[in-house]
Amino acid sequence: MTIFRSRRTHEDFSNEVQAHIDLETDRLVAEGWSRERASAEARKIFGNVTLVKERFYETSRWIWLEQIVQDVRYATRTLRHNPAFFATAVVTLTLGIGLATVAFTVFNAYLLRPYAIRKPSALHQIEWRSQKSGGKGFRWRDYLELRDRIDLFEGVIAEHTQFVTSQGRPLAAALVSDNYFDTLGPGVLLGRASTADDGGRPVVLSHQAWTRLFARDPAVIGGPLDLNGRQFTIVGVLRPEFTGLGDSPRDVWVSLASYAQTSSPELIGSDQPRSIEITARLREGLSSAQAQAVLTPFMKHVVGTASEGEDVRAEVQPATPNQLSLQLLAILSPIAAAFALVLVTACANVSNVMLARAIARHREIGVRLSLGASRNRVVRQLLTEGIVIAVVAGFAALALAAFALRAATAAFFATLPPSVAGILRLVPIGIDHRVFLFTLGTAAVATVLFALMPALQASRLSLIDAVRGQGGTTRQGSRLRHALVIAQVAVSMILVVVAVTLARNGAAIGSLDLGYHTAGVVSINVRAQDGELIRKLVPVLTADPRVAEVGVTGGNPLFIRSRNVAAAPAGRTDAAATRYTFVSPEYFSILRIPIVRGRPFRLDEARGSARTAIISEATARSFWPGQDAIGKSIRIERPNGRPVDDLAGYPEVTVIGTVPDVVSGLIVDGRDSSHIYLPMTADSPQTLAALVRGRTMREPGAEALQQSFRQVAADPQIFEALPLEEMRALQIYPLQAASWVGILLGGLALILSVSGLYGVLIYTLNQRTREIGIRMALGASGAAVVRLIVRQSARLAAAGAMIGLIVAFGSLKALSSAIQLQTVTLVDAAAFAAGVVVVVAAAALAAYHPASRATRVDPSAALRADA
Amino acid sequence: MSTRDSERLQLMQGTLDVLILRTLIFGAEHGQGIARAIQQSSNNELLVEHGALYPALQRLEEKGWITATWGTSSNNRKARFYSLTKSGRSQLVHESTKWRRLAAAMSRVLGPEPEKG
Repeated sequence: MTIFRSRRTHEDFSNEVQAHIDLETDRLVAEGWSRERASAEARKIFGNVTLVKERFYETSRWIWLEQIVQDVRYATRTLRHNPAFFATAVVTLTLGIGLATVAFTVFNAYLLRPYAIRKPSALHQIEWRSQKSGGKGFRWRDYLELRDRIDLFEGVIAEHTQFVTSQGRPLAAALVSDNYFDTLGPGVLLGRASTADDGGRPVVLSHQAWTRLFARDPAVIGGPLDLNGRQFTIVGVLRPEFTGLGDSPRDVWVSLASYAQTSSPELIGSDQPRSIEITARLREGLSSAQAQAVLTPFMKHVVGTASEGEDVRAEVQPATPNQLSLQLLAILSPIAAAFALVLVTACANVSNVMLARAIARHREIGVRLSLGASRNRVVRQLLTEGIVIAVVAGFAALALAAFALRAATAAFFATLPPSVAGILRLVPIGIDHRVFLFTLGTAAVATVLFALMPALQASRLSLIDAVRGQGGTTRQGSRLRHALVIAQVAVSMILVVVAVTLARNGAAIGSLDLGYHTAGVVSINVRAQDGELIRKLVPVLTADPRVAEVGVTGGNPLFIRSRNVAAAPAGRTDAAATRYTFVSPEYFSILRIPIVRGRPFRLDEARGSARTAIISEATARSFWPGQDAIGKSIRIERPNGRPVDDLAGYPEVTVIGTVPDVVSGLIVDGRDSSHIYLPMTADSPQTLAALVRGRTMREPGAEALQQSFRQVAADPQIFEALPLEEMRALQIYPLQAASWVGILLGGLALILSVSGLYGVLIYTLNQRTREIGIRMALGASGAAVVRLIVRQSARLAAAGAMIGLIVAFGSLKALSSAIQLQTVTLVDAAAFAAGVVVVVAAAALAAYHPASRATRVDPSAALRADA
Repeated sequence: MSTRDSERLQLMQGTLDVLILRTLIFGAEHGQGIARAIQQSSNNELLVEHGALYPALQRLEEKGWITATWGTSSNNRKARFYSLTKSGRSQLVHESTKWRRLAAAMSRVLGPEPEKG
């Protein structure tokens, strides 16, 4: 507070001093002195004017500012004279802070950033809940009813999201109520944001779509855009911050009412699907609990019929892109920890170098102390150097993060399976004020971590030793440096072990034999889970000359977990958990799954929903060990007397064949421990998806499939065609990506610890040159000297490695008991072995140059030197 | 000038502040006047170092015990006049009590003044 009070100027003070001298002169003149002599005497009495002024200046409150400027100037000068040190420190810290910034930017983009709309806090999502289930899908007519509740809401909007096709490219389209943009108020870049149809079928583009489709051509306003073969008029482009409600960015917005009239009549027809999400601005002063209470009767009559007599209530929740929950934070914390560890390693490195430098600068610091600088001032000086480094590194880190994010996004899309890359949208991951503050804070914390300790250490030296050029060998200093190196090695050990574990799991899952051939098979799902569309599609596909085989399933392999049911051999009571899938007879031949015993399903069985089954070999073994399963019966359990959803008419089935064990669900679940296949055709109520094998590997091809889809549905994007091969790649992808990130982080940490270790060894070598000289003069061999260096390196590396191994083992063990997946091995001996090998290699690498230098110590020179 | 400069008493730290406050009790005064007044009222026993006076004035002003304004001296020179504030007055009371007790204690310890030979 005293800092900013107005202050006397130096001039004012000079005037006062002058007045004093004049008054003194006057007095002496009055005593009878001549004016010249009086003036000279007055000056003499006053003493050293400059000194007084200086003392005045030093009491000045602004001195701290002046000293900071001085310190910064001094620091930049010192750093300029040591470009190698400066560059190393800045680059090291930039890497650490930059990586942390990258992680935070992604976190910020997905979890912290509110919707870029007017007053986002008032926006709420309307949902319904009952004891067993809940949902946010409503019918159009429910929306119309809610829209008029002006007692609760200041605006209610409806949105139905689906993919549409524009000249062969899939676009994520939001079909919205016409008050959408007025209610939300997002930023508009070009034109106007309105979907109200005046006959021209307006469409609003997202910034991403505008960039991707039109290369940011500002002349698109008023131009045409083809959606599912119909021409729309582009009326506006939104600012990049707003990408729609929900977590997945939208490409285009069109009027739901007018779009549905021509392309999706069911949305507003008589039998409306529950596929509309309702978001509303709550009236000011109204709490979400109040709205919930008022809306509950409404929910009862909207949903009530669907779930028999269950207690249905309304749920009104703040609408945010992603809900930040403790659970999510728990999942993210290991990732955050990995990035934080790299930052700590970077800080430890710089800290170590600063410490070494501070010790090397003992003479300089000693001189400054003996010239009267306070210890406080010396600490501040050294800290200022740290701050200068951190500020430069902070800005470099922001630039690095921006660049790395762009590169990572490009790499992400380039490495994704192509069919997925086409429909995946990322929210804009940009650097905003939160990221800036984060980087600032991180740089500040880093400064404390890397600069404060060395500065305190340095100021504690004894004056006499320092001026004599000795000292700095304080035990405390080297202990600190050793602790830092040990921590670095431990961190690299942890990261290397984790990275290798991830990579090995990725490879293991990638090379896992699924038990069938994915190549050449395309999976077709319906986005609306509408079996009727599959039923219509099958004859079209069968007629296509490019298609060899078509099959239908109640759920395609690799897409959903196959369903659970309890079953037992007929006549026994001990039912076991097993999985089941309805498949058409073509299933096994499309996937090239051989029938090991018995026979495949016959067409008439499939048509008549015969109570026959093909079972996996594992099921046969566990149900009838050592016996032939063919012809035996399986009883399907009804838990609590209630039939399993679509197994109502299947109390008992007869086994007609066995097949090998395959991965019929998700790859991470591994091969089925037990599986029952039941026969079906496209006409069965269980129909959910189709499988297609082309005549050749390249057929039928995406274009041909789109043509087939268009014959069945107005909007071909209702179907999702994905080659099984790509689905397999997609499931391995997260592990691969995680292992790439892990390898990157581990590699960086490793490089940092090698250089940290190297620094300590070189420093020790310099300190012990005299000792080594004496040893060599007394006949120690080069080998003995090398041993000296290597032993130190090995000791530090071993301590770090031990700590790293223990921490890595403990946390992976804990993690593996938390997530139990058959195909994932978290505590992997090979990964730990790899970690040990890598750390040993790193220790050897770090010791190589110092050791070879030690053997070249010239004993006579070392002894003569004044140490 | 009855006493030579070197024989004068050097002011101990902290004493100057009290003396300045004490001087100002008679009304506003400028720096030179304060220095003269201290010297005179101590029978020229105390030497006020100008190098110390101004920082002390500065310090007291910052503490809010005195305030300063530019004014005109009796012989028509512009000078910076210092005057006592309310908190300065109570500070003076507090400090002088402290000094009196200290002085009394000191003289009790040192005993009666020895005869001058």
